Amino acid sequence: MTADPRRPLAFDDRRHLEAQAWLIDEAYLLDDRRYEEWLATLADDVRYVMPVTLTRALDSDPGSYPEMAHYDEDKHSLSLRVARFRTQYAWAEDPPSRQRHFVTNVRTFETDSAEDIFVESAVLLFRSRGDVSEPSLLSARRADTLRRADGGWLLRSRLIRVDESVLRTQNLAVFL
Amino acid sequence: MVLPAQDEVRRGRIPAHIYNDRDIFLLERERIFGRAWIFVAHESEIPAAGDYVVRRVVDDSFIVVRDEAGAVRVHFNMCLHRGMQICRAEVGNASHFRCPYHGWSYRNDGRLVGLPFHQDAYGGDAGLARDEHRLLPAPRVESYNGLIFVSLDPAAPSLRDYLGSFTFYLDYYTRQSSGGVELSGPQRWRIKANWKIAAENFAGDMYHTPHTHRSVVDIGLFRETTPERRKEGCTYWAGCGGGTTYRLPAGGLEERLAYVGYPEEMVSRMKETWTSRQQDVIGRDGFIVSAASVFPNLSFVHNWPRDPGAETVTPFISLRVWQPVSEAETEVLSWFAVDALAPAEFKARSYAAYLHCFGSSGMFEQDDVENWASITAMAAGSMARRLTLNSRMGLLNDDTDLTAPLPPERFGGPGVARPGYSEYNQRELLGRWASYLAPAAAATP
Repeated sequence: MTADPRRPLAFDDRRHLEAQAWLIDEAYLLDDRRYEEWLATLADDVRYVMPVTLTRALDSDPGSYPEMAHYDEDKHSLSLRVARFRTQYAWAEDPPSRQRHFVTNVRTFETDSAEDIFVESAVLLFRSRGDVSEPSLLSARRADTLRRADGGWLLRSRLIRVDESVLRTQNLAVFL
Repeated sequence: MVLPAQDEVRRGRIPAHIYNDRDIFLLERERIFGRAWIFVAHESEIPAAGDYVVRRVVDDSFIVVRDEAGAVRVHFNMCLHRGMQICRAEVGNASHFRCPYHGWSYRNDGRLVGLPFHQDAYGGDAGLARDEHRLLPAPRVESYNGLIFVSLDPAAPSLRDYLGSFTFYLDYYTRQSSGGVELSGPQRWRIKANWKIAAENFAGDMYHTPHTHRSVVDIGLFRETTPERRKEGCTYWAGCGGGTTYRLPAGGLEERLAYVGYPEEMVSRMKETWTSRQQDVIGRDGFIVSAASVFPNLSFVHNWPRDPGAETVTPFISLRVWQPVSEAETEVLSWFAVDALAPAEFKARSYAAYLHCFGSSGMFEQDDVENWASITAMAAGSMARRLTLNSRMGLLNDDTDLTAPLPPERFGGPGVARPGYSEYNQRELLGRWASYLAPAAAATP
């Protein structure tokens, strides 16, 4: 194993603490479907990508398609998805799922830009629909870039590496 | 078990329990998925020698691979020795497949080439002749426009005969130029829904669009401001499949293809590739294909959402397989498809349009699945066995037609086309389903 060339931030570094607080606040926004407030935490040029994970042999290239993703979004398309949830006809989330985003294993790194930090985290989404349907779980590793903005941070990019190659949730009417 | 009466199904009287019934599912596995032609992959997914994908037909896993000579092979993914699953990746490139258990190795054309201790353990070829053994091939493998199908029935008719005149419509999705189509993906996810519901929906359900998909119109993703426009289209059934169309505004072929967002260079290639009859359905008759299903479980969709913040639109195509897992669960495999010769800039826009509308995160698809899972859950109990669902749209009480089929001068494609909302196609699909399940049909080899 070669050493990680990135420059990790100590867990008591102020930027690390702020990033962790940012992720926890975001989890509550997503759990509560406060999507307009969530959109406000995204940079205008945000890129939000969730590749399709593949099961591949050990010696093969990393497991995702170069030209297919579950999500490949910018702020406009994320805003459209949010607007759809606010119509009277978005059956996929009416009645809404109970969602709980568990965020853990947070570590942060300096980048070449003084304005940006790189944040990795693990997320587990528990989703319960209806009264008796079996709940679904989505587990993923996230790699985020946060950019310093007035008094806080904005999400500049997010790469979601989901841990299943076949998703066991009926749709992605949820965000990770 | 009492099978659904074929004539009742064809009259649109559908026993509700067929959407969640273990006995029915076991019969479907044997008599439909054991006999019909099932789509497994497209040649563009395995362009180079050694490229492979692993796909299933219900419970049977197959390696779909291009061998060193360039031929597409479909091998049952089970070692001849002790039955281990040989290839456990879902996609990759390999000249050989080696079983992890005892190390038997096969070339990618299926031939057994390596056995550890062949001489000591078997006495060499005297005990086990390598060149007489190969991975079990799928009984039948044929393709159309690069779409690779298998049939587990050695006596199945040819794929062309099976598809029949539906190939006329398949070309709209998979042959927009001499370069053919290329697929990306698939996205895969599992839904708690019976596979037939999805196949029926794509075959002919224009009636659900104004209600189920109202949200995507409300947010302006579609240029048409009233979802009721859907009833101006027609449905058609031809050969082993059927689908829905949209009605296009006045104009010729070029104007109408431009209206749905195809750039000029793609339109000129369509004119070189499609027959005049295929061109007439669009240019003369004013209909363009949207969703469709090929019996039993392959579907297509073609639509043209608005570009971000603009009045222009971009068309996209998706192929999907509704892979049965059980009577109450289906794995969806959803590919993005685009003409191989399309400009790169068009391909990128079309891919984005696909992702926003269909697939695991698609804004259309999300709401469909919610409905289908609900139907499946409701169909499980004892009350569903007492309920006959009404799938009679387009038929009057005396079984005569509400609307006459379109005459050839108004719809030039093969098969039978009908204007407006109806459930003829769903009845065609389920009628075919009932015929396959019938014991008499199953008795033929």
